[in-house]
Amino acid sequence: MKQDKKDKKRPAFLPALGAPCIELSGNREVLIEGSRGVLEYSPETVRVNTSDMILSVFGRGLDLRCISESALIIDGFVTRIDFTV
Amino acid sequence: MLLEMLRFVRGYVRFDVCGRYPERFLNITAHHGVRLWEVERVGEGFSACMYRSDYRRIRSLARKAGVRLRVKDKRGLPSLAYSSRDRVGLVFGACAFIITVFVTSMFIWSVDISGNDKLSLTHINTLLKDNGLYVGAFKPALDAKRLADEVMIDDPDIGWMAVNIEGSYASVEIKEKAEPPKVNDITTPCNVKASRDGVILGIEAEEGSAEVIAGSGVVKGQLLVGGVITGSDGSARLVHASARVLARTKRTAEFSTPDKMTELMPTGEVGERRSAEIFGLRLPFYFASVKSPYALSDQQFFAPSPLDVRLPVGVVVERVTALELRETALDESSVKELLSKQSELYEAFTLSDCTVESRDFELLDTDGVYTLRVTYTCVEDIACTEPIGTDENTDLTKHTAPTEDER
Repeated sequence: MKQDKKDKKRPAFLPALGAPCIELSGNREVLIEGSRGVLEYSPETVRVNTSDMILSVFGRGLDLRCISESALIIDGFVTRIDFTV
Repeated sequence: MLLEMLRFVRGYVRFDVCGRYPERFLNITAHHGVRLWEVERVGEGFSACMYRSDYRRIRSLARKAGVRLRVKDKRGLPSLAYSSRDRVGLVFGACAFIITVFVTSMFIWSVDISGNDKLSLTHINTLLKDNGLYVGAFKPALDAKRLADEVMIDDPDIGWMAVNIEGSYASVEIKEKAEPPKVNDITTPCNVKASRDGVILGIEAEEGSAEVIAGSGVVKGQLLVGGVITGSDGSARLVHASARVLARTKRTAEFSTPDKMTELMPTGEVGERRSAEIFGLRLPFYFASVKSPYALSDQQFFAPSPLDVRLPVGVVVERVTALELRETALDESSVKELLSKQSELYEAFTLSDCTVESRDFELLDTDGVYTLRVTYTCVEDIACTEPIGTDENTDLTKHTAPTEDER
């Protein structure tokens, strides 16, 4: 029962609050929904602006497989993800 | 896969972006709803792909972002069509292909029949053809349910039938009508009589009173087991007499053949005719004929059958073998062999219910015709039932068993 109460307090849908939604497929693919633009793009680093923070994806051979207005998919060998608030 | 097909149909370009802030270009295009994919870093800039229609409107955006664009490759259907705009034949070919696919899909390509056991495929195919379903039938004119109903009316041996048309493939499922088991009549009063002349070897009467004994000779039609049972008080009771009466009988069969036979024999001349078959329509393209007025024809149909579905196009090869009439004289040994084979066939098919005890052969030669007379001595069941008549003309007199002297 206590667990249920905790679950109720947690927002069901974080993107509704403006937070980005990040989906990882192992360390080979990162899907970021809610991006506001790419700040830096190199095979080693991709920095993405979201509303509240800057998301930095580090790795090797990083490519942008697909980029649209509010989402992007990063392919490559991801070694680290940083959040700068 | 679907996405790649969509990109191919819409057409896309691969281009290089060079400039000081290529990331700015990414953001501007994203902001304007231009979708990029396969973005790869190349030196200071990057290369990416976008739809052909989007590329026309990003030139101003590129200027705004301070980058220069250079098209590396154009791919997709629009580019392909543009590059082959002078090749009219290709366009005609593509159109012809589409029309052919569209037109041929309106006809039945293959008919598959399943579920038949006693009914032959040829018979069912003929019934279906009479009702409009055949290879090459116009599909929109077919009503599968009506067709199944009409075929079932035409042939009462078909108990249930379904016609399923999937694309250009028609599958016909059949259930043959089950015959009700034959019910033996055991209530009608009847006698058991002899079906042939013979000598009784044994009699097993299940019902009725036996009128003959083992060892007695009987003639055809003689009463063997009576269906009228007289009680001790003199009253008569009619029953359905049934019995198994084994008797030794004699049968005679004659087989004859002339001493000279005329046979059709191959001359060695063979002709081959070929024709193309398209949707049941035959178009001959190779003729060959034989000189003889008599010929034997053998047809073979070669059609591609991918995934066990026979396509409606193929080649029919007809081999025509010329025959000629040849007269051959038969000597006695070959006549004996020929007629013996005929007698064996007679024995196998006609005397299948009898046990043949012995055979007597007699070969006669009369005016160029050989005749083999065979006398078979058989053991067989000669009982046959005959209903007891109730009209005034019926002979109800009891058959008197032959006395010892009469035997």
